[in-house]
Amino acid sequence: MISLSDIPARGGSPFTPSMGVFVALVLTAPLWLEPVGLYQYLGIEVAIWFIFALGFNLLFGYAGLHSFGHGAYLGVGAYAFGLYEQNVAVDLWGGLAVAVLAAGLAGALVGALISHRRGIYFALLSIACGQVFWFCAIKLHSITGGEDGLLGIPRPDLVIGPVRIELAGNAALYWFVAVILVVVIVVLWRVVNAPFGRVLQAIRQNEMRARFVGYDVWKIKWLAFTLSAAFAGLAGGLFAMAQESAYPDVMSINQSGLIVMMVLVGGGLVSFWGPVLGVLVYFLARDILGGLTETWLLWFGLMFVIVVMARPEGLAGLVDMLRTRIGLVPAKHAPVGAKTGGA
Amino acid sequence: MALFTAENIRKRFGARVVLENVSFSVEQGAVHGIMGPNGAGKTTCFNVLTGHYAPDGGRISFDGRDITGMAPHRLARLGVSRSFQIMNLFDDTVVIENVILALPEFRHRALNPVREVFHDMALIERAMGVLEQVGLTARAWERTASLPYGERRALEIAVALAPGPRIVFLDEPTSGLGIDATRALAELISKIRQRYTVVLIEHDMSFLFDLADRISVIHWGQVIAEDTPEALRSDKWVARSALGEVA
Amino acid sequence: MAALLPHMVNGLALGLLFALIALGFMLIVGVMEVINLAHGSLFALGAYFALSAIDGHWLASSDLTQWWLSIPLTARYVVALVVGPLLAAAAGMILELCLRPTYGKAPLYGLLLTFGAALVIEELIRVVWGTSGQNLPVPDAVNGAFLMGGVIFSKYRFFAAVFAAAAVGAVWLFLEKTPYGAIIKAGTHDSEMVRALGYDLTRLRLLVFGFGAALAGLAGIIMVPIWGLRPHVGIDVVIPAFLIIVLGGIGSFWGAVAASLLVGLAIGITGAYAPAWSLMSMYLLLIAVVGVRARGLLGRKSVLEN
Repeated sequence: MISLSDIPARGGSPFTPSMGVFVALVLTAPLWLEPVGLYQYLGIEVAIWFIFALGFNLLFGYAGLHSFGHGAYLGVGAYAFGLYEQNVAVDLWGGLAVAVLAAGLAGALVGALISHRRGIYFALLSIACGQVFWFCAIKLHSITGGEDGLLGIPRPDLVIGPVRIELAGNAALYWFVAVILVVVIVVLWRVVNAPFGRVLQAIRQNEMRARFVGYDVWKIKWLAFTLSAAFAGLAGGLFAMAQESAYPDVMSINQSGLIVMMVLVGGGLVSFWGPVLGVLVYFLARDILGGLTETWLLWFGLMFVIVVMARPEGLAGLVDMLRTRIGLVPAKHAPVGAKTGGA
Repeated sequence: MALFTAENIRKRFGARVVLENVSFSVEQGAVHGIMGPNGAGKTTCFNVLTGHYAPDGGRISFDGRDITGMAPHRLARLGVSRSFQIMNLFDDTVVIENVILALPEFRHRALNPVREVFHDMALIERAMGVLEQVGLTARAWERTASLPYGERRALEIAVALAPGPRIVFLDEPTSGLGIDATRALAELISKIRQRYTVVLIEHDMSFLFDLADRISVIHWGQVIAEDTPEALRSDKWVARSALGEVA
Repeated sequence: MAALLPHMVNGLALGLLFALIALGFMLIVGVMEVINLAHGSLFALGAYFALSAIDGHWLASSDLTQWWLSIPLTARYVVALVVGPLLAAAAGMILELCLRPTYGKAPLYGLLLTFGAALVIEELIRVVWGTSGQNLPVPDAVNGAFLMGGVIFSKYRFFAAVFAAAAVGAVWLFLEKTPYGAIIKAGTHDSEMVRALGYDLTRLRLLVFGFGAALAGLAGIIMVPIWGLRPHVGIDVVIPAFLIIVLGGIGSFWGAVAASLLVGLAIGITGAYAPAWSLMSMYLLLIAVVGVRARGLLGRKSVLEN
């Protein structure tokens, strides 16, 4: 069975065949989305959720810190972007930077409060902190627009040197988000295969031992939390741009729970790509199943419960199991080129 | 000057005083044993000495430096290392990574988000060197969880040695080992004592008496005797408490 | 100061109701070592089952429904007070069955499962009873307000406080004075030992979950006339329950009761000064408490410690 701790055959090189296929699909989506019966905006949503889910899994899967209140940081990013665009400048990079920084700061604050814990205490504290953000979003009407949300957030143009590209159309915005997604994937893949990623996993596997061999575990957990919040903020900023508004509901415990469910169902506990699969499953349920019945969320929830009961390795784990059964994948051991020990 | 000293250590949990007036010192290059019946406080003593708990009273010094109440990760960086009786390994990954994670060269790059790990041959050589000390090089790339008990014990010690400490605290390393494995372990400790100062908690008296230069006997939360094995053999209190005859 | 009195009564009522919730939650944690994130959904289910018991819309024919509605509200309300918790208990027991594959694994899985169950139950509520807010009818005898010492009090809050106090007392009697209670208490302290003594641990877990769910459901029925009846009314239940067992310690009955009163009063009094923020106070309290202390005031080292 695959595990996050598996050693990749080609080190941290992001250019694996499956990665290539995925990137190709992502970068060409506007061309095939509509012919398949889907719509452009869906591509934007899915790409944004990919970013959120992959960044989240750095904390949830790799570090083993189960945050059930992470929607708060997506929300902070969204509101920060919106407030910047409305009150400071209609500027794309500035807005996104502010989104990332604000969410990162929120994550740093919460992380400082809860990083000395793990397990159940950590999970419940994360819920409580998420709820506090949600409350603030709802009650601070003058800043956030309260339950009505922050409306009328402009989509700034993309300005690179002398080139100005309008992002008002969904296809154009999609390409922008897609490029960011690819960058995020490359960066995260590097990070999880670098020492930092391995240390996060060590802390997940045995926090005490990590401490006793010299790691400042608190600091590393705090970093992981802050980073995952920053990624959430990036996703949030993009989301505010896509929706042209920001609402408090992303910070609610229901929404925060959804990202947990997506990541688990997809197999985020065992695979880097798990979160991607999970997001796809969710949107499939929402849009395709949702077209058939209003109770699609009930079915998604039931599926999640069954996955937890029967196959917590999720979809990625299932795929791996099938591939091994068919004999497509050899058992994993030393990376290519490494010396194995022995006489 | 002794490498490691504990003076008048006191530890309470709530109203219960678990350790009272515990003192001893360990010379560089020595093997120092700690023994005593269950519940006597030797595990707590160990936990205090290795930074898991802060003492309520007393002083601990290492290499002339006051380390009382210092956090475990800082102690590890200073050169104080420990193994665990209930094994604490990184079970989800391969054997060699357990060692790599504990190497200072690796730890210094912990926050590095870029470098390669498993293609860094220098790092792997260093880790293999540690595994060689405990005879596990053949298992380097196997999943930790698949190792038999005796080899997990060896790995447990390897992880404690990997940081290149000056003093190593081993918590009941013979737990659950059969006769052959125990003998192998005794050989291992005789070998590693040439590089490290060793403090050893043990139940297995013959094991301890063969290896240790000096032994502290803890009972009722206090050090009731500290001496060479030969001297202790004839001490009646020690014999009776070790054999569990004294409650 | 007198103006604070109604708020303190509110806080007291809230605290006693929280005690019911927290006691059930605590028993589940004690015997099963599972943090039941679906406890709030069981709370909501109890209230919704009670609603159906009272308005009879589940009855097969409209004639039966008419007949049912002709029975005095008080009688129907009493029936609801029995039926609601029983059905919530049944739901709880189904949940326990679903939890079984996760026993022995890392606590994450139980947490995830109860979390998913909370979502599923909430969606089921939406499907069966609808998404909009509803009203749980209460007998006229306990409805309305009364004047005492120049201050207006809510009759219902008094009723809620008294009822909850009686229920807490009944739970205490059950745990202290009956043999089943003794087994449950032993189970929360050491489930392995209980099994070694020959009791069927599987049955015990099932019954404790049902009992805990029943308590939550009962609290739900009493609470929703104050909090409102909406599908997500249970969301704000788990955090205070957790906070209470952290403050009071797992395994301590009076610790849980004392902590419940504390939390209830905190919310009630905050409600006097900043009503919009009163619920948030308990989240802040949790963060402050768990961020600092862990073992609680009266409990011992628990399964929650990782």
